[in-house]
Amino acid sequence: MTAPVTGDAAGALDLDKLLAARLYAVRARPYLATALFALHPVASRRVPTMAVDRHWRCYASPLFVDRTPVEDLAGVWVHEVSHLLRDHHGRSDRYARGPGAFGPAERLRMNIAADCEINDDVFGDGLERPGGAVLPGDLGLGPGELMEDYLRQFRLGPVTEHLAWLDCGSGADGAERDWDLGPDGAHGLSAQERDAVRFRVAQGITGRPGTGSRQWRRWAEEAFHPPQPWRDLLGAALRSAASASGAGEDYTYGRPSRRSAAVPGAVLPALRRRPPRVTVVVDTSASVGDTELGSALLEIAAISRAVGGRRDLVGVISCDAAAGVVHPLCRAEGIPLTGGGGTDLRSGFARALAARPGPDVVVVLTDGQTPWPDRRPPCRTVVGLFPRPYPVAGWDEDDPDAVPDPPPAWARVVEIGTPSGGR
Amino acid sequence: MPSYPSATPAGTLPGSVPQLDVAGELLALLRDSTTEPRPDDQLEALTLAVAADLPVLLWGEPGIGKTAALTQLATALDLPLTTVIASVHEPSDFSGLPVIGDDPAEQGIPMAPPDWAVRLVRAGRGLLFLDELSTAPPAVQAALLRVVLERRIGALTLPPGVRVVAAANPRSSAADGWELSPPLANRFVHLQWTHDHDVVVRGLGGTWPRATPPRLDPAKLPGAVAFARRAVCGLLTARPALVHRLPGSETRRGGAWPSPRSWEATIALIAFATAAGSSREVLSQLVRGTVGDGAGLELLASMDRMDLPDPETLLADPEGAELPERGDLRQAALDGVVAAVRARPDRARWDAAWALLVHALRTGAPDLVVVPATTLAALRQDDWDVPAAVEQLAGAVALSRTADRAAARAAAGAGR
Repeated sequence: MTAPVTGDAAGALDLDKLLAARLYAVRARPYLATALFALHPVASRRVPTMAVDRHWRCYASPLFVDRTPVEDLAGVWVHEVSHLLRDHHGRSDRYARGPGAFGPAERLRMNIAADCEINDDVFGDGLERPGGAVLPGDLGLGPGELMEDYLRQFRLGPVTEHLAWLDCGSGADGAERDWDLGPDGAHGLSAQERDAVRFRVAQGITGRPGTGSRQWRRWAEEAFHPPQPWRDLLGAALRSAASASGAGEDYTYGRPSRRSAAVPGAVLPALRRRPPRVTVVVDTSASVGDTELGSALLEIAAISRAVGGRRDLVGVISCDAAAGVVHPLCRAEGIPLTGGGGTDLRSGFARALAARPGPDVVVVLTDGQTPWPDRRPPCRTVVGLFPRPYPVAGWDEDDPDAVPDPPPAWARVVEIGTPSGGR
Repeated sequence: MPSYPSATPAGTLPGSVPQLDVAGELLALLRDSTTEPRPDDQLEALTLAVAADLPVLLWGEPGIGKTAALTQLATALDLPLTTVIASVHEPSDFSGLPVIGDDPAEQGIPMAPPDWAVRLVRAGRGLLFLDELSTAPPAVQAALLRVVLERRIGALTLPPGVRVVAAANPRSSAADGWELSPPLANRFVHLQWTHDHDVVVRGLGGTWPRATPPRLDPAKLPGAVAFARRAVCGLLTARPALVHRLPGSETRRGGAWPSPRSWEATIALIAFATAAGSSREVLSQLVRGTVGDGAGLELLASMDRMDLPDPETLLADPEGAELPERGDLRQAALDGVVAAVRARPDRARWDAAWALLVHALRTGAPDLVVVPATTLAALRQDDWDVPAAVEQLAGAVALSRTADRAAARAAAGAGR
């Protein structure tokens, strides 16, 4: 830290100064008040600056508190509580696939990545950024990403050498420190209490529009419903659509059961497998990128094969304003995705449903900037939606405020391309 | 030319014990493990839900120890365990096999139940574990759900002494995605089954945990019911939107959600957990597994506030007041007291509140007192003198000034 050392720093922890800083932080960020007040301050000479553990204790070095101005300390409070609110220790453990799965160097890298996620958006607007706080830009990275994304983008090396002292404690990177008081120590919060505090904070942010930065709002929305990896979700939606009764494997009276011989006179149903027909309608309008389409299409082909759809039962239609013809997946690895203008998915639906025999499942890959059919189609529908934060392609210069219709309620919607790191 | 011992029987070396016996000895050594008592929140939650006679659905990856847990549960409740692997059965195994008599038109066709069901009914009590619900074909699942929810197998009805638990793999790892429709999901208590790394390592080392089952305390029963009803009704009065809320997004599909039915189950579970003296962790698993995370967390948060000391009690005896240790709860308690004074302001209550703030300052962090003190000061009426106790709040005032000065410095710095 850059602040000059003032006076004799060998004394006990200046708790009043530390708590005045907490008060400052609460005034600057009222929506974090519950979390800040729930932190239990502990003096520790072994901590380099300030650190948290996963039981919501905040360890502070008396020396550091003494020589740091109150306004900087307030920033550190918010920084440390952000580690806990954003579950950085849990996410680090998940990234490392278990506690203790990596050595100190990798944990330091997690700490740095977590700091980058926090520091680029919590400061400013009445809260000072403490000197020495690492920003993504310091490592040559772009702002606004998640810890997991940063972790993929940098290594320890000359750029991070000056950060080796950085230590936000086990609350930031999941590795136990020797100063940690452990789960049974004084004033720790239990898992349920931690969830309750995070919930109160999230509720405070979502309940009062206008509070909190965009990042905090996003955190609050996702705190208790982390976005699942879209591949799993799309797979589950597709599998369940394809294997639900009426499609795929089910009992039928069309052929006698193997147990019929045991029960003379009774007609028992037998298990029959009818592979589902899946038609994929691909939105090839200019607003959807090729890489997005490619990855989603591969995924669907793999999933539909896994649920027993033979390749000749999976068809693909590329659709912009007018739908193309149904291409069986077996004919070409690369399906000609023609188009590029505006979208009208209604023609794609019509084309898919006009095929004989009709599909059991229609999968639509789109960015949603399109009119949807008025009525529910007579088969299961899964929509893979490429998220668009702002309407770009559907933007109408005569009506700039026009927002495209959301996907209809009868379709199962999976957002594709949301971060898989999970908060 | 080498010679082979051809006279000895296969698998035995001359002059030694038969190999299978040695293998048996080795197996006995491997199976030799001890147990140690260890609190287990998952198992306690499961035991309470089963005791409350609510259908439980365990969600867990294959091989995570669900069956072992059920064995423990059966021992704890002293019930014989019947395990049925759903995926190897046909629907007629659960809805009953049609048996044709002499005159079907006259007598109808009875649906004969399988042998395990007959044994269960004859015993009158037992624990029925329906494993691998998610890998069974949809028609089998439909038949099974009738067993779980209506407790009927063919023409038989399971007696009240039989408890039913089902297990399923999470959607992401299920081989063929089966999921519960919202009406079915609403009837279950969903418990997430995970493994505890330490327990597994220690168990493989030879010592498995032995959970002590929760005991319901007969003396606590009426209080537990009153508490449970107060907790749920208090929340639903304040938040009517939570009474019924269908799951909207794909992520929440197949999980628990709030409805009058699941709230009723929640009341039962809170009452059971309270009567058993269970921890908040256990209650949290049960509540969130019944009405879902969102509504469950709101309920738990509002129960936290129910635990706060009553403002009137605090005002009646400010010197001897016991305030919560945790900072956020302590401030919530103090805010509650100030709100109580605001609601019915008079001189004595105002003075008592000041005395309480002084007491809070003496026993805890000073920054928590600042906001309540500011609000309380604003409630002063013209003919009320500032009480002497306020002098003792100087620490909090100094703290507040330090923060103010820092804010001014920061603002000046930003303006530079």
